Amino acid sequence: MALALSLAGFSLADDDEHHERQGYKRPKRLAVPSDAPLVWREECAACHMLYAPGLLPADAWREQMRTLADHYGSNASLDPLQEQEILDFLVRAPAANRLPTEPSPTAGEPPRISQTRWFERKHDEVSAAKFARESVGGRFNCVACHRDAERGDFDDDRVKIPR
Amino acid sequence: MKNHWIVLACCLSLPALAETEHPLLPGYAAQARLENPAFAGFSAERGQALYVAEEQRADKTMSCTTCHTADPRKAGKTPAHRKVEPLAPVANPERFSDAQKVEKWFRRNCDDVFARECTAQEKGDFITWISGLQ
Ligand code: HEC
Ligand code: HEC
Ligand code: HEC
Repeated sequence: MALALSLAGFSLADDDEHHERQGYKRPKRLAVPSDAPLVWREECAACHMLYAPGLLPADAWREQMRTLADHYGSNASLDPLQEQEILDFLVRAPAANRLPTEPSPTAGEPPRISQTRWFERKHDEVSAAKFARESVGGRFNCVACHRDAERGDFDDDRVKIPR
Repeated sequence: MKNHWIVLACCLSLPALAETEHPLLPGYAAQARLENPAFAGFSAERGQALYVAEEQRADKTMSCTTCHTADPRKAGKTPAHRKVEPLAPVANPERFSDAQKVEKWFRRNCDDVFARECTAQEKGDFITWISGLQ
């Protein structure tokens, strides 16, 4: 029991002690699972980078998958079989993400990764002007600054904001 | 002199090439006939017109060229910053070879640009035009 507790303590500490104290962490276990279905890898990376499932809690993905015909202003609808397979994956994969689902500040939009409190905090030193650079594209385009974002790697040692 | 003959031979054979119909067209023609008994074939000119037609959607001007560029033989980009491989089969032979994929993107993209589905007539016109590009 003592061992289990200390192990749990350890895995929390590697998140981020500073934010830990405020009782709000960034999502953990962001690596893309090796059994991720091809249909997700292809369909969900046709218009933008592939977002690691650990970035949002299961409920947020559920909401996204329910509203694909009006997906941030784009029609991203799928045939029912593909939709089901992707949904199954996206509610199973982020088991480690216990964060609350935060609605997007833009009415009528499903939840965003780039509009969460942890995202704000982790990027409080990145100015709006930098996010708006043509070479970046916007807050949603993680891969512009986090080279290996599509594998779920956001290590701050490898961050580089393009000119 | 010899060269002239080669050029001539090449161009004489073009109309014959253009007549080998794209494999997706018979299906769209059958559908178009159901939608409109007066259906009178597909037109590359109308296909091209569809490609460049502009619509005001929300606060921006949208058209097929927004993501596929003015020249569909070139690679384009989505507003969400993903590269889009060329749409014209001459530059990208995989295009228009998978009927389900074609239908999926017509459904999505016609909605994005025109806020409706495209008709079988429009899809057939479009394929007639884009598959004929050299
Ligand atoms: C037809 C194009 C298209 C497809 C296909 C598509 N998306 Fe998107 N997605 C968009 C657009 C456009 C945005 C908004 C980008 C922006 O902020 O300008 C977006 C945004 C998102 C965001 C929010 C990013 C942020 O700001 O945090 C997530 C998450 C997302 N998509 C997930 C998915 C998933 C999961 C799939 C597969 C089921 C998918 N998308 C398929 C077009 C698409
Ligand atoms: C304009 C460039 C830029 C974009 C776009 C961007 N980030 Fe970041 N990100 C940064 C910078 C800079 C840091 C801070 C690194 C540091 O603290 O040293 C950071 C930090 C992070 C961290 C914390 C890393 C750690 O080790 O604690 C995470 C997680 C993260 N970003 C996720 C994302 C996600 C998810 C997206 C897309 C939805 C995204 N970022 C988009 C620049 C960017
Ligand atoms: C918002 C961006 C966007 C707009 C606008 C857009 N498309 Fe697309 N289109 C895409 C993307 C992304 C793909 C898939 C890319 C891929 O397969 O690599 C695609 C694929 C297609 C395909 C599938 C072809 C195949 O066989 O692979 C067709 C057909 C198509 N588009 C037609 C159109 C038509 C017609 C219009 C105008 C009414 C249009 N598109 C406007 C983004 C767009």
